[in-house]
Amino acid sequence: MKISGSNVVDQPVDKVWEALLDPRVLVATIPGCERLEATGEPGDHAYAMTVTAGVAAIKGTYQGACSLSDLQQHESLTMTLQGAGAPGTVDATVQVRFSEPAPGQTEIAYDADAVVGGMVGGVGQRMLSSVSKRMAGEFFANVGRAIDPSASAGSEPMVPTNPDERAMPGVYTAPAKSGGGVSSRDDFLKGIVVGAGLVVLGVVVGSVFGRRR
Amino acid sequence: MGQKVQRVEDQRFLRGHGRYVDDVAVDAQTLHAAVLRSPHAHARIVDIDVSAVLDLEGVHAVWTYEDLAELSPPMAEPLPLLIPHPALTHGRTQYALAKDEVNYMGEAVAFVVAEDRYVAEDAVGLIRVEYAVLPPVVGIPAARAAERLVHDDVPANLGARLEQNVGDAPAAIASAPHRLALDLTVERSACMPMEGRGTVARWDPDLNRLQAWTSTQTSTGVRAALAVKMGLDLGQVDVITPDVGGGFGVKINHPWPEELLVPLAARVLGRTVKFTEDRREHFISTAHERGQEQHIEVGFDDDGRLLGLDVMLWHDHGAYTPYGLIVPIITSTQLLGPYKPQNYRVVFESLYTNTVMVTPYRGAGRPQACYAMERTMDAIASYLGKDRAEVRAANFIQPDEFPYDHGLIFQDGRELEYDSGDYPASLEKLKTLVGWDEFPAFQAEMAAQGRRVGIGLACYVEGTGVGPYEGAHVHIETSGKVKVATGLTTQGQGHATVFAQLVADELGVRFEDVEVVTGDTRRMPYAVGTFASRAAVMSGSAIHLAAKRAKEKVLKIAADALEVDEKDLQIVDGVVSVVGAPPDSVGASIDLGTVSVLSNPLRYAFDEASKRATQFQVGDPGKPPVPEDEEPGLEGKDFYSPERATFASGMHAVIVETDPETAEITILKYAVVHDCGNLINPMIVEGQIHGGVAQGVGGALYERMAYDESGQLLNASFMDFLMPYVTEVPDGIDIDHLETPSPLNPLGIKGAGEAGVIPSAAVFAAAIEDAERTASPGFAITAMPISPSELFALRRSKESS
Repeated sequence: MKISGSNVVDQPVDKVWEALLDPRVLVATIPGCERLEATGEPGDHAYAMTVTAGVAAIKGTYQGACSLSDLQQHESLTMTLQGAGAPGTVDATVQVRFSEPAPGQTEIAYDADAVVGGMVGGVGQRMLSSVSKRMAGEFFANVGRAIDPSASAGSEPMVPTNPDERAMPGVYTAPAKSGGGVSSRDDFLKGIVVGAGLVVLGVVVGSVFGRRR
Repeated sequence: MGQKVQRVEDQRFLRGHGRYVDDVAVDAQTLHAAVLRSPHAHARIVDIDVSAVLDLEGVHAVWTYEDLAELSPPMAEPLPLLIPHPALTHGRTQYALAKDEVNYMGEAVAFVVAEDRYVAEDAVGLIRVEYAVLPPVVGIPAARAAERLVHDDVPANLGARLEQNVGDAPAAIASAPHRLALDLTVERSACMPMEGRGTVARWDPDLNRLQAWTSTQTSTGVRAALAVKMGLDLGQVDVITPDVGGGFGVKINHPWPEELLVPLAARVLGRTVKFTEDRREHFISTAHERGQEQHIEVGFDDDGRLLGLDVMLWHDHGAYTPYGLIVPIITSTQLLGPYKPQNYRVVFESLYTNTVMVTPYRGAGRPQACYAMERTMDAIASYLGKDRAEVRAANFIQPDEFPYDHGLIFQDGRELEYDSGDYPASLEKLKTLVGWDEFPAFQAEMAAQGRRVGIGLACYVEGTGVGPYEGAHVHIETSGKVKVATGLTTQGQGHATVFAQLVADELGVRFEDVEVVTGDTRRMPYAVGTFASRAAVMSGSAIHLAAKRAKEKVLKIAADALEVDEKDLQIVDGVVSVVGAPPDSVGASIDLGTVSVLSNPLRYAFDEASKRATQFQVGDPGKPPVPEDEEPGLEGKDFYSPERATFASGMHAVIVETDPETAEITILKYAVVHDCGNLINPMIVEGQIHGGVAQGVGGALYERMAYDESGQLLNASFMDFLMPYVTEVPDGIDIDHLETPSPLNPLGIKGAGEAGVIPSAAVFAAAIEDAERTASPGFAITAMPISPSELFALRRSKESS
């Protein structure tokens, strides 16, 4: 399955850059992400992660891993991602490109080639593409809020200090009920979204880590 | 025989009193199984971690391949290759649970038994499998290219190559006045019975016996497989097939992994175990059919008469070949239909892909065969500018040419020899029924209004009632009721009705007094199964013969009792009487119940009836109570085993309209002429035709298995896999029968079960093509099924080119 899209974040590149360097931001903004763990040496750009999401027929916990390659600073990168859980599996390769459409904005464009397997692939496949884009949009909105909480009225800063990190370096967990989950109001769509989760995760993580050098 | 007797089953089915496998063992003591299936089309299994399952409350067993050998050594061997064939040089079957690798998305990897299905499913979700994903082979082009292999030890992904020759087709084509070549494709579909697979098993430790209920088309086959795989004697295993909610072929393949694992679990755990698959499991872990690519070269004369036919078939058989080469053999032989090609060469290659395996689906290779041949006939007619019916008629085997031996070997290993038929008469009936000769005027009238209507026809011949045999047991109870058992199974065909008709006819009993049991190995342990449109031919003939034997015994005993000659007796409504005697004359009649009592000499009396058979009441003191060469009881048993299949035939025509804007395809008229020899029950035959046509409409216009390039089945649900509703099936199907009796069986019958589905792809392709011809430029339809979107795209591509 091929998914392409782009999103614009109303933050300058350097701010987005800084925010996306921080795994604590990621764990709080990736839809459904509960836990993110750096694997390998610092600078390997390799993470293991746990994503729980789902409603109705296709729900469960995915264990995933992603890594980055072909890094072209401020321009592009390739992200490979694998994830598996009871609802299915995802193997994705995502090409991510960055640009600055206007001063103070960052555009992130992605082309994902994903193999979605198992139940998710058979049951939700025809909706995955559109739902993935929607989730990507949610993610970038979350990132925007994480950088500048005042941009969304009344919301808490989304990056709390993380007790886990102090106990276990390199491990980040999502704050309870604060933007870690899918914020869709449509339960049915939400169920499908879950299936799309890891695809989007590939997209968003790719775009996020792409700025990290 | 020959009467439209209403089905005795329907009261039960329509009132919800059917009893299916899932209705068996519904008590709380029953354990439930669930299966972990591969999410990948092709992968090596690196590691399976079941540790998280072990702590889950309510789980009784979790098995992977590693556990099987210890539980029962034969279970660790590959599943049986049911039908070996010398040409199947690289046959492969899966393991009950995947060993080292998986070769299709849906292959069983681990098996869990728990208190209920919810716990079992949760447990499945906790199993962690590490896969090393391999690139999959999906689709016939990828299989042929063989850049990647499904099985490392199968070069070129080639499971089998089989060639059959009659005469010298290439030479005949080379010297023919006219030549054409066609490239055709047919996509995959599947049976989709309403009831999926299901198995319940109970081990009885006191009797040391296994009892299994399973939704199958062959209970004796499952029984034999269970005995082998569980290390039991055949006599220790009973397999019972209760009501089955449709089979259409998929349930003839056996044993499924679950069909073995459930009984094994019942024995190991000492509890009744049940597995009922869900719809998604049916899509991804049973079997599909139809997918083929075909290259046809044909040479013919000015009349369209075939001089040589050279056919190459590429058959996608999926990841494994448990059912051998039956489907491509049928395609390659039944392709000839009612025609005489004079010179024929056919080669098929049966190819591995990383998809669900392929086993027979109603029609079993014939829809593809009919499609190949009939598209060729249409192409010849189009090339010569001749009437399509005329070209066909020029090639028919004539009524005086039967038996007609094609010189090929059929799916049962016997000669492809047609026993009887009358194809010119069928064509005349069809032309009248559909209004063939009047159609061009109608088409022109519609075209003048800007409407596109087209007509197509297709002819087929179907080998039905293949061997090796079926048997039957007829038992006349002391109540006068007749109990009939035959071993093959029933999936809704109405066997209890037609078989009772046969017994009532032969035995002279009331239809209501006959009770038929099928698919219960306790009642008839020798049987083959329900496939190849064989139930009526095989079991019907066996039942007829068994009833005949029972009748002989009735007459012998009644003649003794009434002190008359057997020849003077008749049986009417369950009473044996002297022909010509007044109805109320004393001593001139005896009812069947009493004959049954007398057939079993007794020492002990239990009631007034049995008193009549005790030792001081009957018998000649000078003779043994049971005469030599006789048996006690009023029973008849016999088997029917024909030399070869009997060949039914038929012709379909359809008139369709295609929307000039949206390319929507509407059926205006559907006509069927059908010849299955003598009819036992015309209503049931027509029901079979209706069902077949409906299924054929699905196969021609809607259904396909949408695999992506990674081997994921994208439409594995009824939300995405389109099946025809009643709204997509023609309101009325015009049916006419021709009856050319088969000389091969005592009833003169031929099979009817699959026929309705066979010509669908061919007849719809022809009609749509004809409709599109009315608006220039027109184009050939070479890929089926066809959706409105595809028709639209075809129009666009022709307009632009």
